Order: sequence, then C-alpha cells, then structure tokens
Amino acid sequence: MMRDRAGPSGAAVTVEPPATTDFDAIVVGAGPAGSAAALELARAGHSVALLERGPFPGSKNVYGGVVYGRVLDELIPDWFERAPVQRWITRRQTMLLSDERSLTVDFRSQNWGSAPYNGATTYRAEFDSWLADHAQQAGAVLVPSTVVTSLLRTSGGRVVGVRTDREQGDLTARVVIACDGVNSFLAKQAGLYPGEHAEHTTLGVKETLALPKETIDERFGVSGSDGVDIEILGGTGGVPGGGFVYTNHDTLSVGLVLGLPGLAKAGLRPEEILAELKRHPSIRPLVRGAELVEYSAHLIPEGGYRTMPRLVGDGLLVAGDAAAMCLAAGIWLEGVNFALGSGMYAGRAAARALAADDPKRLREYRTLLADSFVLADHRKLRNAPALVLSDRVQQRYPGLVCDLVEGMFTVENPAPKPGLRRLLRRSAKRNGVGLHQLARDALTGLRSFG
Amino acid sequence: MADSGSGPLVVVAMRWVDTHARVDALTGRVSTDARGAGPSEADRCALEHGLRIAQAAAGRCVAVSLAPEPATDMLRDALACGAHAVLRVDPGHAAGAGNTDDRADSGAATAQALAQAVRDELGHPDLVLTGDHSADRGTGATPAFLAAELGCAQALGLVELSYTDGHLVGLRRLDRGRRERLAIPLPAVCSVEPAGVRLRRANLRATLAARTATIPVVPSDPAALAAQPVAVRSVRPYRPRAKELPPPQGSDPRQRLLRLTGAHEEREPPRVVVTDDAGRAADELLDYLRGKGFLA
Repeated sequence: MMRDRAGPSGAAVTVEPPATTDFDAIVVGAGPAGSAAALELARAGHSVALLERGPFPGSKNVYGGVVYGRVLDELIPDWFERAPVQRWITRRQTMLLSDERSLTVDFRSQNWGSAPYNGATTYRAEFDSWLADHAQQAGAVLVPSTVVTSLLRTSGGRVVGVRTDREQGDLTARVVIACDGVNSFLAKQAGLYPGEHAEHTTLGVKETLALPKETIDERFGVSGSDGVDIEILGGTGGVPGGGFVYTNHDTLSVGLVLGLPGLAKAGLRPEEILAELKRHPSIRPLVRGAELVEYSAHLIPEGGYRTMPRLVGDGLLVAGDAAAMCLAAGIWLEGVNFALGSGMYAGRAAARALAADDPKRLREYRTLLADSFVLADHRKLRNAPALVLSDRVQQRYPGLVCDLVEGMFTVENPAPKPGLRRLLRRSAKRNGVGLHQLARDALTGLRSFG
Repeated sequence: MADSGSGPLVVVAMRWVDTHARVDALTGRVSTDARGAGPSEADRCALEHGLRIAQAAAGRCVAVSLAPEPATDMLRDALACGAHAVLRVDPGHAAGAGNTDDRADSGAATAQALAQAVRDELGHPDLVLTGDHSADRGTGATPAFLAAELGCAQALGLVELSYTDGHLVGLRRLDRGRRERLAIPLPAVCSVEPAGVRLRRANLRATLAARTATIPVVPSDPAALAAQPVAVRSVRPYRPRAKELPPPQGSDPRQRLLRLTGAHEEREPPRVVVTDDAGRAADELLDYLRGKGFLA
C-alpha cells in the first residue's frame, strides 16, 4: 500500500519522561489556528513556544479567500479596526459555469461594508503575521524558520514535546498543539489519522493578478474598501472542484480548487485549467489586462466532518487544517474562521488542563468544539462535501441549469414559449440527469443545507 | 568557542534589506515588505567570516546594523548564530537629515553613523566586515567610507578570508580569471562577496535565548545624519557607442555616400507584423528564420 512518505519524519521519537519541561505548551504552526491557540495560552499565563517553519508567519500560506472574522470578536474584540484587510465583502456571487455560458446569483449588501462586518479579503502573509504579533505581545515565543520533524513521546505514548530540524532541537512541554496544516505529520505520527485521505484533499491553485484599484472598482461595481467574492461551480475542465475570484485592494485572486483523484485521472495541469477558466467569457472581462504577480498552490482538506482525525491524543491536540477544519459545502466555503475557532478552543482547553495539572482535561477541547459553530456546522454539513464534489453536481448540473435558463430566456417566435416542466425534462435529458436522481440530490441538499 | 574578550574586536556591519522587493515596471516605484526583509547573502557570509575569525583569534564578534526597529529580528538571528553581542543604530529622524531612505542612499552617511556608534559603544574595532555591496542600493561604497572613517586599511570584494597565526589573509577576484592574495594588516575593513562560506544554522537553544534577548539600541549620530548624501541631479537614457564601420572605398563623394548608406542596393525591406493571432505571428517568425537559413 502507498504510504505517506513525504515530510519530516515517519515516526515519533521515544524519550524518557522529562523531569521539567522547557515550556508549558508548544504550538506547531503559526497559522490562524496556531496563533489563536498560542494567544489563548499566553493570556492564561502559560509559557508557550510557537514554532513556524517559514521565515515569518504566513510566508508559507497560500490564500485567495475571505476571512469571516466574527469568531475574532472573542479573541481580539476590536479586530476589524486593526486587522490587515484588503476589502470588505459587500457583494457575493455564486456562478455556475458551463462551456461558454454562466448563471450568476448576485447578492450585495452595504450592511456588510460597515461594522460589524461580515467577511473580508486579506493577504494571509499579512493576516497571519498580525495575529502572531498578538500572540507574541501576550508572551508567546515565536520561533520561525524551524521545522518540527517528530513528536517526542514516552514509552507509554504520552506526547511530551517535539524534535525540530535544528541542532539541539528537542523541545519539551506538557501539551503540544498540532496546527501544522493539511497533511499533518504530527497527527499522523500520533496515530490520530486512521488512514489515507488523498481523496478528501483538493489542490488549490491561485493567481494573484494586479490591476489598478480604479479598474477593479469599475469592473466589479464597487468603490472604496468594498469588495466582491465570486464562488464558481464548474469551469474546472471536468475535474471535481470549483473556482473563485476575489477582489483585493489592487489585485484579484483567481483560482481553482481541484480534487486530487480527479486531477490525476484527467491528466491535466492545474495551470492549464486555470488559464481556461480565465478565458471563459464570464471571467475574461474581469481579468483582462491584469499582470500576473504570483502563482501558488496548496493542498486543502475538504473532506469535512467525516474525514476529521481524532482531535485529542495523550498530551496532544489537533486544530485547524491539521484537523481537516475546512468547510467546503458549495455555497459555504470557509476555513480561516474554523481554524481560528478550533485553535482558540484548543488553547483554552490546554490552558485549563495546565492550570488543573490534569492532562485528561484536554478532552474538554472536543466538548468546546461541539458546543460551538466549529463542529456544529461541520456536523450539520457532513454530507455536503460528498454531494458538492459528486460527478452530477460538478459536471452535469451546471450544464442542466444553463440549458434550463437559456431555454427560458431564448425567444423563438413564432413558436410558442415552452413550459418550465418541459424545459426541465429537456435539460435533464441533454445532461444525462434522471429526474429521480435530481429529486434525491435536492432532498440531500435540503437536508444538508436546510 | 574559543575564549573571547582578549582577542580582536570583529564588527560585522549588516544591512537590513528586503531581498524580494518589487519594482513597478512603469513607475519604478519600489515596494518593500519588512516581514521578508533581512540580511543579504553577502552580509550573511560576512557574519560567518566574522564568527570564524573571532573564534580563531579568541576575539569578540559583534553584529551592528544601522536600521529601524523591524531589523531587530535580523540581529536576534546573528545573536543565535553565535555573535557575542549586537547593536542596532537607530536612524531616527533628525531635523534636516532627510528621511531614512535618503540617508541610506549615502554610503558616507551610513559609514559615518556606524563608525561613530561603534567607537562610542564598542571601542575601536580591529576588523570590520561587510557584504561587498548592499542588495538594494548596491553601490558598494559604504565599506570604503567606513575604512576612511575608522582610519584603517581596506580590502574589498573578497571571495576568501581567513585568520591564521595572527595574520589576516584574503583572496580577491580580478579580471580575466586572475586572483590576488592579500595580506591584510589590522585594523582593517573587509567586504566579502557572497561566496565560499555559508552562515551556520543556529541551534534551537541559542535561537530561543536570542528570541527573548534585549537588543541594545543607540541613536545614530545627528552630525552623521545631517551629512548631505550624494544626490543624483539628472539621469540620461543609455546611449550605446556608435558602431564603427570601415570607410567606403573610392574617391567619388557620391559613390562613397551611396556605399556608406547602402542606397540603391538590393535588400529585403523590413516588415512589422501586427496581429492579434499569436499563431500567425509565430508562423511569420518561423518563415523568416527558415528563409534566412537559421532553421532547417
């Protein structure tokens, strides 16, 4: 069987239980989850090391999306006045793409353009650094350019620290919080991931395209710090996934999220599919003349609730992408807020366990998550990822909907106008969708999203 | 580490720069980001040389930078790598001194501020090491100005530097593949190219200690800041040299002129292909290259 071979190390290192530890807690990864956890722990008065493999927090992250910051109200109450925001999202579109057609549901609300804001586009390099700064100011020790290669475990299986790629690189603590991102080697070393999960992982590819702010404002119909979030279904060259266009201050983030098995099967390169997306008649006018300033790619855990690992080990908590906390439910595509929430609750549970000197209280992490939006939303939408990434939703329904709408709006005088039922039957037949299947999917969707 | 304190004082002057700065192709505006900033590769080599020489000579290695507050992390890294001490000279904003960027443009002002701070805080250095030129302004003038300020010898653009039996020896690259080996008397200012050595990786214990260490800061000398930098008065477009042609044969001025200009000679007129079709443009180019015999 194919094993996960990439990464720092294959197995945890067995050590003697340390008499004293270097820190109360070690947080691995200074992304949103890691910094939130470190911030909670430091505020509770515990010594925390925040280890980051990049030269600064956010340097290794790829992000082209929207931060929903409501959860930050608990962590940093006046966050919206100080966070490095590119634009506040006041216009939200969901776009179905099929060959050279598209159907867009367009919603805008100026309520989202003032406090309390709904969502914002940010650059993760800025946002993560900003959040990590708060953790540092609270007392966490940030150690950048340091890769954690293994867990340190006692012969009894209790996690007591980590080994890094530096000389004299062992660091001990009473609690380790793994926020090491998708494909978490630490969670795997701890045996918290049951098996392979490539089929639940997508590849996100993104181009950052520079355009003058005035041009973006004009093309997207916004002004000031207002921004637009376009989520796209279809336009992925037949590979299960989706696309997106987000407005930043003077750049656009245009990208795709592609299922790994489908991408491998299609034998296509992601940048080719992205180039095709940019050539689509609905996208081309938005990106015309833009200068490519960055191309990046990153794996995303999109399996949702059903693919989450065990979140609590002996001396170890898992949060953020490492715990598959990304919500990919079609109309809702969120990740940073779940990372922030899970990191915050991991830090809170760890702080309580440390204060009580009772490692068993780490289990409260699961309870805190279950009582919050983090697991509530994931549990509620547990069937959504499979539905959204299904062959029908990905490849047939966009065509069906576009056929249906095209039939509705095509004027064929002197022929009389067809009825909606007839149009639906015709569109379903053209796109190989049975009406019974359509009804079943609608029911599944209703149960998931209802 | 050898015993430090009795040997020479080695000062490594490091410039804090954004090595991934973006330049707007149209306006020339340079965008920098403090998060990605740090020492250039040449400065990292200088620090490694400084650490090795201080160890070999049982001296002290001190990393110094004329830089704003965000450069603290760069100095922490130097401390973690083994520097005995660090010093940040804050450029500040003195009246009449212009902004930090203006002063940074001037190697003389930088050298004056650094030399003054080093003399005041550390004493007279035996050896000052720098990168051969900064990664942003890149004039390479600062080391020479530093040598002048400190009144010591200079050896610039070295690819090797070693301290053996009390002697400092460098190797400098010359034109046409030549090399010159230099015996460098102390006190001296040496600048090194980013070659030969690589800065050691700090161990975790030292890294942790450096993260919480206090980084001493001194304000730069107001007199140095007030020094007027060299100013660029005007920039002219690049003008290549005229191409030399052999004189035309013959004595008749008209014939000479015709030969010189190529008038009345058979030649293929130049063509400019303007098309939106990339495929057609490529075909045109390929046909041209085939016609000229560049492609089979």
